[in-house]
This record gives sequence, structure tokens and C-alpha cells, in this order.
Amino acid sequence: MVRCDDRPPYLILYRVIELKRLTKRYGDTLAVDDLSFNVEPGHVTGFLGPNGAGKSTTMRLILGLDSPTSGEALVNGRRYTSLSRPMREVGALLDASAVHGGRSAYNHLLCLARTNDISATRVSEVLQQVGLAGVARKRVGGFSLGMKQRLGIAAALLGDPGTLMFDEPVNGLDPDGVRWIRDLMRSLAKQGRTVLLSSHLMSEMALTAERIIIVGRGKLITEATVAELTERYPSLEDAYLALTASSVEYGAAR
Amino acid sequence: MRAIMSSEWLKLRSVTSTYQAIGVAALTVVLGMVWTFYVSGLADERGSLRAAAPEQGFLPLVQISLAVLGVLAITAEQASGMIRTTLTAVPKRGTLLLAKAGVVAAVTFVAANSIIILTYVTSRLMAGDRHLQFNESSVANDLPMLLASGLSVTVLALVGLGLGVATRSTAAALVSVVSLLFVLPGIANYLPAPWNTRVAALMLPNLVPQIADQRLSRRLGDGFLPPWAALLVLATYAIVALAAGFYLFRRRDA
Repeated sequence: MVRCDDRPPYLILYRVIELKRLTKRYGDTLAVDDLSFNVEPGHVTGFLGPNGAGKSTTMRLILGLDSPTSGEALVNGRRYTSLSRPMREVGALLDASAVHGGRSAYNHLLCLARTNDISATRVSEVLQQVGLAGVARKRVGGFSLGMKQRLGIAAALLGDPGTLMFDEPVNGLDPDGVRWIRDLMRSLAKQGRTVLLSSHLMSEMALTAERIIIVGRGKLITEATVAELTERYPSLEDAYLALTASSVEYGAAR
Repeated sequence: MRAIMSSEWLKLRSVTSTYQAIGVAALTVVLGMVWTFYVSGLADERGSLRAAAPEQGFLPLVQISLAVLGVLAITAEQASGMIRTTLTAVPKRGTLLLAKAGVVAAVTFVAANSIIILTYVTSRLMAGDRHLQFNESSVANDLPMLLASGLSVTVLALVGLGLGVATRSTAAALVSVVSLLFVLPGIANYLPAPWNTRVAALMLPNLVPQIADQRLSRRLGDGFLPPWAALLVLATYAIVALAAGFYLFRRRDA
């Protein structure tokens, strides 16, 4: 089912996100509507859609934070909630401000690391990698949004996972940070990891992603490579606007 | 489980609210000394008097401050969104709640007993051989009451944790704890006889003297419950609150 580059199939199977007819209903609204797609390793997969299209909900469903109304989301062939050390298989950044402001960056990461038997050395390593080593002992409450994004990315990288998901990671980052994220995403994918990235910055997405999944009103609109889309439309942005024109509807999901 | 408990232990240690809660509870030692100083002065004038033991009189302060610690152990995460980060690291919600309960129980039990014993020792040392009534019984005689007091604090902290999980609100959980501790016992006293005694015997603060096999109060007289039954009722408070919290925690989207 997964055809991709030259690595042995068992390795590839272990780095894949599969959505099978995933559906999530909140009261009367269908946030995710019968969504099926696979995210494969080796390249960055861009996850696009208007506000309220169900991107964040889909990510929450993959992580078992919300439970699906029907269908299922599998990571490496298993439900996320059945993983005993999930951080070693999947790293995720959903909401960078979802941290206790009173805790230091180092302690925040160490709290997470301990749950998955990840060493304190690794905590220092990822802090270095995201450029927060200098403020590791500072309270997270005083961090700018950009710094919190970096902290969230550090948390996602902690377990050195084969699969990574990032929801709008460039929000609040300076041009330097945006470039850094782009390079990081691409290098993670190049190492053979599965990377799912959502963003509203089309120009950035065109530079970072190789494959694109577009959703609208919880449904799959298009699954294609960036090359295919830019062949049919003047740019990725034009492709996105044309394809989602009929599904811009606010407030469909949380 | 061990890994998750060590993470939860670090979580408690790495925020100032924990130290504030324990600090306020520890004021009991100072208040106990002030009280003993005051009643000792009176006793020096009058020869003897019947004064309440400070570790009993100020017990509600320890109970309420450490219940706050139990409440905040979960509601601080829910308010900041940190709970979603936590659940990504530990998707097994039952295990997470159990680890939190274990750490809250251990911390509050040690803190409460230290504070109670310190209050006991300093007040008895200050009282010397004056006739204050509270300092005239033997340690062996006082021990059941001291242990029951410490245990009641832990139970309240666990009730706070359970209600915090269930209500997802610091305010709601605290109001519930205060109701259990102060409001409901007050109402129970005004029920028509014999229901006043029957209901009051089950009230959380009244379980402490019953566990120690002592009189409930001048008005209510001897307790209805033998020590083992009072102990069972006390444990039931924690179990019911945690079970309610767990039931909702497992079912709800995070």
C-alpha cells in the first residue's frame, strides 16, 4: 500500500499515518467527515484547508485526544492510545501555548521526557537543537509565541520519533525562525520520517512540502503533489483558493 | 507507572503553587504557637483552663490548603491546555490519573503529618507543665487523633483531585471541597433529630474524631460509627470523587 523510495517495506510501514473513514461529530456539526488518507514517510506532507475545515480536529483524533464518532486513525498500524511510549513513535505540536507558564522550559520537557523513559541528556540536546538552551531555566510564561513554538517543537522531537505532526508551527516566528522550521521539516523528512504539517502560508508550504492534502468542511478535497498542483494552476496559492472556494465556512469545528 | 509517577512528582515540584499551598498549611505551626502562647498566659493568671489542641483547631487550614494542591494538580493543566500535551505523552488516562493520585496522596500525607506533628510538639513544649487540658494526655492517647487528622487531609486532597478532573474548573472543585468541609456539616447539625446525628456522623470533618474513637462534639455526643467504619467512609469520599473524575476523564474529549 505504501510505495516509496528504496527502504525496506517494514521500515516504511512503521512510519505511516492512516486515516480510515475517520468521522467526528460535535453536536450537529461534522468536524471531520468520512476522511481517509495516508501520510507517508520521506517527504513533508502539507495539510491545508480553510479555518474550521477540521485540520486540528483530525490531528487531535490521530493523537487520541478526541475519540472519533466512527472510523479510525492509526499510527504505525496501531491506535495512538494503545502505544506505551508514544513519544518515541510520534511527536506532535498542536498548541504551543498549552504549557504551564510557571514551569521552566527544561522542567517542562523533563516532565514529558520522564513519562516515556527519555533521558535528561536528550532534553538538553533538543533544547540546544531548537535554540532555547540559553533560556532553559527561565519560566515558560515569559516566552514569546515564537519561543513557545520552538519549545513545542523541542517536545515533539524529544523521543526521536519516526512520525511528526505540526499544526501551524510557523505562527509567531520571525523570518529566521520560519527559515529554520522549513529546513528542519525538510531534513526530518529526508531522514525518512513521516512529517504532517499544517499551515496557512501557501508560499511557505510550496517551499516545504512535496505532497499536499487539502480538506474542506471535514472532507477530503484533494490529495496531490505540489508539482501536480502547480502544473494545473499558476501557483499553490491559486490551486488552494480554487479548490477550497466552495468550502470556506467558519465555525464548523472547534 | 513508575515513569509517570516520577513525571508527576517533578510536575508538583516545579511549580510555585505547590510550595505556596504547603506554606499556607505550615502556618498552622506558627498559629499553634501563638495560640499556645496566648492560652499559657491565661493559664498563668488563672491556674488552669480547658483549651483546644492547636493541631485540631487549625486542622481545617491544613485540610483546605492541601486540598488546593490536589485540585491544582489537575485543573492547572486543564486551564493552560497542558493536559493535551500530557495526554499526548501519556495517552492511557487511567494510568495518568492513578499516577497523579499516588503522588498527590504521598505528598499531602507527608506534608500534613509533618505539619500536624510539628504543631503538636511545639505546642506541648511551649505549654510545659501548665494545666491547659490539651497537653495533659499522653502521646499514645493522642496518636490515633493525629493519624486520623493527617489521613483526612490526604483524603481531601484526593477528593479535590477527583472533583478537579470531573469539573475541569479550579473554582468549582474548590467550592465543592469547601462545601464538604464547612457547609454540609453545618447544615447537617440543623436537621431534625435523630437525623442530625446520623448525617453529621458521615460528614468528612466529623469522621476524624470517630476514627480516633472520641466524642464528635458536645452537641452531637459520641459518634455513630466505630473507628473502622469511619475509616471506611473516609476512604469512600476519595474513591467516589476519583471514580467520578475517572469516568468523565476517560469519556470526554481533551
